[in-house]
Amino acid sequence: MNDARPLALESAVHTQGLTKRYGEVLAVDGLDLQIPAGRFFGLLGPNGSGKTTTIHMLSTLVRPSAGRAAVAGHDVERDAVPVRASIGLVFQDSALDRTLTVAQNLRFAGLLYNLAPALIEQRGRELLELFGLNDKRDRPVGSLSGGMRRALDIVRGVIHHPRILFLDEPTIGLDLPNRRKIWRFIERLRASTGMTVLLTTHYLEEADTCDEVAFINSGKIVQRGTPRELVDRLGRHIVEIEARDLDPLVQSLAPRLGRELRDGDMAMFRYPEENVAPIAALQTELVGRVSAFRIRRPNLNDVFLWVNAAR
Amino acid sequence: MIARPIYAVLEREVVRMFRQRTRLVSAMVRPLIWLFVIGAGFGAVLGQARGIDYQQFLVPGVLGMTVLFGSMLAALTMVYDKESGVMRMLIIAPFAHHWIIVAKTLAAALAGIVQAVLLLIVLALLGFLSRQMHYALLFAGVLVTALACAGIGILVAAFTRTLDNFAAIMNFVIFPVFFLSGALYPIDNLPVALKVAAMLNPFTYAVDLLKHAMLTASAASASELRVGIDFLACVGFTVLAVVLASWRFSREQAYEPLIHILTGKRG
Repeated sequence: MNDARPLALESAVHTQGLTKRYGEVLAVDGLDLQIPAGRFFGLLGPNGSGKTTTIHMLSTLVRPSAGRAAVAGHDVERDAVPVRASIGLVFQDSALDRTLTVAQNLRFAGLLYNLAPALIEQRGRELLELFGLNDKRDRPVGSLSGGMRRALDIVRGVIHHPRILFLDEPTIGLDLPNRRKIWRFIERLRASTGMTVLLTTHYLEEADTCDEVAFINSGKIVQRGTPRELVDRLGRHIVEIEARDLDPLVQSLAPRLGRELRDGDMAMFRYPEENVAPIAALQTELVGRVSAFRIRRPNLNDVFLWVNAAR
Repeated sequence: MIARPIYAVLEREVVRMFRQRTRLVSAMVRPLIWLFVIGAGFGAVLGQARGIDYQQFLVPGVLGMTVLFGSMLAALTMVYDKESGVMRMLIIAPFAHHWIIVAKTLAAALAGIVQAVLLLIVLALLGFLSRQMHYALLFAGVLVTALACAGIGILVAAFTRTLDNFAAIMNFVIFPVFFLSGALYPIDNLPVALKVAAMLNPFTYAVDLLKHAMLTASAASASELRVGIDFLACVGFTVLAVVLASWRFSREQAYEPLIHILTGKRG
């Protein structure tokens, strides 16, 4: 904590041994994280893994118990105000006044960042256009749909053009079409501003477009890399077998397929080779003994499952 | 730097106040009920209080009451803000968190002042205002009354988690502050214990100031304290309240329930 060396300035986010303890519980456990400026970074993990606590420490809302963190080159403990000036934060729960209109909310948020009213008006129009909300300017926020409110919350979070945007589960509680929409907005926003984005989510398929992801569990990073690297490291294929009596089947397959991962009546195996001919042969061999047999490409969900199974 | 954020909080308060018109109307009706019903009723029994007509005696009191309810209830909405998204916007904004308390106190004071001005117009139309009022003193009096009432509210808000128990706040804060203030009757007639309580109540000094301003002809008899002391008590209390509430607010964050109230969970 008293280490005098400055944390790297070119990093958008840099933490060393960042720790948060709530009584007996270690919410975040010695996190070392370095996110270069301009990156789209995903912090992934199950509920209660320490993602939100990490975001709250990085945004100066929660004091670290130990370790340190710099955001946009400012220490989160000593220079909380400059940190807050350079970040945008979209919470899991909306940070909007439901009684005010869309435009009034943006005006309120913009004034809090000391923006001139004319600038707020101009940026508000640009951003609402990007998010397809311009015709809702004078509607009270309480009357918007969940998806629109979430989009507006993101507009609110970037009205001051932050260098770094923290998105804490930005699509939680939304249906699939609205989740897709939010993702398109975030992509457009990144394309038009180049801002660093730190995202937390437990919908892993949403992290596919991240430049880099880190899996966090019990407050520790358990795996990190580009989504492609992590998926490739897992294997070329995933073999899924469903059967009523799995145990003898899994035992007989272990010499050929290695360790399995169970999920109810289903067993999953990793297969490292591109050539699936041997597996296809296996399928014919198992006819009648299994109720389903699938070969598919692995994805981040699989990485997540195997990472957690290895622990 | 901080002027714009404070302005934002003030503007939101005014926008919200004029949106909730029923609240505004009831803020106008409440004092008139006191004036016409209580004023007439007790006036008939008492005849005169301290040498003036009881209804006239009551005018500064009901003006004070309007400011008390207007400013204090507005300050108490900070508790509601804590539970809603607004506080999230405020705590991530780039200024020290004690400015949230300062801005909210000023906004609440403004709410009381606006309601006081509206009531003064109504009172003037009904012929309840004396022509010989001290206008400058009235203006200053309403200002510091609003600040002190906002201070009471912000102090309660800083130490309160939810407004679920609003009845308790009504019973243990708003009513005692109003009844033990000299707004309805002179305090030097009260039993000693209540008189001590009244002297500790910042609203007592605020109401006394309004009496000085509004009951010019008979001010010497109606008001019981000196103008300078009234001002000092109101302003001093407001500063104390803001400092205490800021301390409490930042301490709350040090212990972190605030962020958990905001997010409802640890992720």
